[in-house]
Amino acid sequence: MAATFFFHPALLFFAALPVVPLLKGVWRQALVLLVPLLAFTLVLGFSPGTHGVVDVQGLHLVFGRVDKLAIIFANVFTLMSIIGAVYGLHVKEPWQQVAAMGYVGSALGCVFAGDFLTLFLFWEGLMVFSTALVFLRKTERSTRAGYRYFLVHVTGGLMLLCGIFLHYHQTGSIAFVRFHQETAGLAEYLILAGFLLNAAVPPLHAWLPDAYGSATVVGSVFMCAYTTKTAVYALVRSFPGFDILIVLGVIMALYGVVYAVLENDARRLLSYHIISQVGYMVTGVGIGTALALNGACAHAYAHILYKSLLFMGVGGVVHVTGRSRFSELGGLWKYMPYTLIFTLIGGLSISAFPLFSGFVTKSMVISGAWESHLNWAALGLTLAAAGTFLHTGLKVPYFIWFWRDKPSFEPPKKDAPLNMLVAMAIAAYYCVLIGVNPEGLYKLLPFDAHYHPYTAQHVMESMQILLFTMLGFFLLIKKLYPEPKVGLDLDWFYRRGAVVFMAFCQDVLRMVDEQVIKNLHKTFALPLLRSFARVANWNDQRVVDGAVDNSAQAVLRLGDHMRVFMQPGILSRYIARTLTVLAGIALLALYLR
Amino acid sequence: MIVRCIAWMRKHYSLVEKSFLAVLALLLVGDLWVPRHHVHFLGDEIPDFWALFGLGACALIIIGSKWLGHAWLFRPEDYYEREGNK
Repeated sequence: MAATFFFHPALLFFAALPVVPLLKGVWRQALVLLVPLLAFTLVLGFSPGTHGVVDVQGLHLVFGRVDKLAIIFANVFTLMSIIGAVYGLHVKEPWQQVAAMGYVGSALGCVFAGDFLTLFLFWEGLMVFSTALVFLRKTERSTRAGYRYFLVHVTGGLMLLCGIFLHYHQTGSIAFVRFHQETAGLAEYLILAGFLLNAAVPPLHAWLPDAYGSATVVGSVFMCAYTTKTAVYALVRSFPGFDILIVLGVIMALYGVVYAVLENDARRLLSYHIISQVGYMVTGVGIGTALALNGACAHAYAHILYKSLLFMGVGGVVHVTGRSRFSELGGLWKYMPYTLIFTLIGGLSISAFPLFSGFVTKSMVISGAWESHLNWAALGLTLAAAGTFLHTGLKVPYFIWFWRDKPSFEPPKKDAPLNMLVAMAIAAYYCVLIGVNPEGLYKLLPFDAHYHPYTAQHVMESMQILLFTMLGFFLLIKKLYPEPKVGLDLDWFYRRGAVVFMAFCQDVLRMVDEQVIKNLHKTFALPLLRSFARVANWNDQRVVDGAVDNSAQAVLRLGDHMRVFMQPGILSRYIARTLTVLAGIALLALYLR
Repeated sequence: MIVRCIAWMRKHYSLVEKSFLAVLALLLVGDLWVPRHHVHFLGDEIPDFWALFGLGACALIIIGSKWLGHAWLFRPEDYYEREGNK
């Protein structure tokens, strides 16, 4: 009985969503905590099966496809929702929590969707609720970023929808299953493009640092976990073994690292490292062996925890100081030590230090690359790993907490609020737990492959790479001093494109309208129209009216003549005519005989 | 406690520095005895290859990216605001 039990965890979130703004104080906090806890417990009890099947107009919709792949993602999504809820407990207004709940619910909906239409429904839900998290920062910058985020994702959603329709048209099926590279056509690649946009794969990535750097403090903690990882889930489900993903993934891993060097804003730097880390997962999907796919899933699991930890740490700094630029920060070690320690744990995890979570997951993907003899990919990913430590492990803590002896502004009186620290502690606990006891995570992995991270060779290799990167960091630190600048990224095309488009409308189009069109109108169009009118007028008066009038007069005249001729009122004429007719008839009758 | 710990380390900076260098040296020497079970390419057989790789990677990433930034990508921080609100 218990084995087949299924209750869609997204329902919990969507049911609680309208209630949250109605409650106040402790009650709201209790609800906000209770829902994720319940959902997490629910997911722990799930076992594979298919539930929630609805047939609509011959379409086979599946809301509850449960298998190991869905369970591991649902597991970390609900775990993360607990951490995020704790982190956001201090927020007074309810709307961030409402948006976050809808966001988590949508992500869970995607994970359990067994067909593309259901997936698309929740996919759009993700977009709507996460856009709300950007808008809720309520600054002009965030509003602009929110609109950009929304428009980019609408485009992605449309690509996905086009792909789904085309695929349905060709195969008659909307089942959300694996595609094969050999048979993939336009429909499948459109779906892939929709997924890649949400996974922030260059050149479809620029929305990520733009939005995550502008969202609310709590919002970006949620956002860093769900959108990209839902896309990774969708890729693992549908596109394993697509070669193009290997190339894109490695480019992505390095791209994020390069931009992280240039970045001056801490949250934008972390955003670029999301791109870099998701690159490992995308590569893993592209390699497509059991080990690499397991690596992608495991890395997604670990990534959600350590990346949210990093966003929570930096978010704590933003919350307390109101600053996120390295050029303004520094010297906080005396004032926010707990946040420092937790951020360091996040940094060591993402850098794949032995005994931290990244070590046991990132290396699965790299090993997958080695074992598939993709040496260039493995080396590229290892290079990106060094870059990750350089920035997230070293640059972020160094330039926020050290660097200056004292902050350049009034130092904060307190560390981050208690609920934030507790949330960080939970995430940090899991980061270390996974690193120390990887078997717990490996048990959840959906594919059949064994992996042992703790070999002497692997530990030695990692330690050498990491510590010598650290040596390089301190040798070259002068080069890394923060510069208050932004690096141009591909959002230039639509940000500058929009400005150019507006300028084109305001200047060129208006000028053309005012000068050219108006004059053309005056000199050519109006006189031409007038002469047309004159001709028409003449035509109307002379031709049309004349014809009508004349024919009417002719009818009248004819009538008069007829009346005078036929009805003269003279008896002798009537008799004469009657006799004439009778004679004619008689003659005719005679003749016919 | 954390603050005192960090303060102590900052006070004895040269000691921290020396112990860090000692750890590096230990890694370099220790690598000579590490057994190699999975040799994927040439680099896995050369002792201390990955140390060199780490140092080189770090230098490459910093210098390469900064060069790219200064040569092409860097703009003032209010670039989009300034140009956008025209």
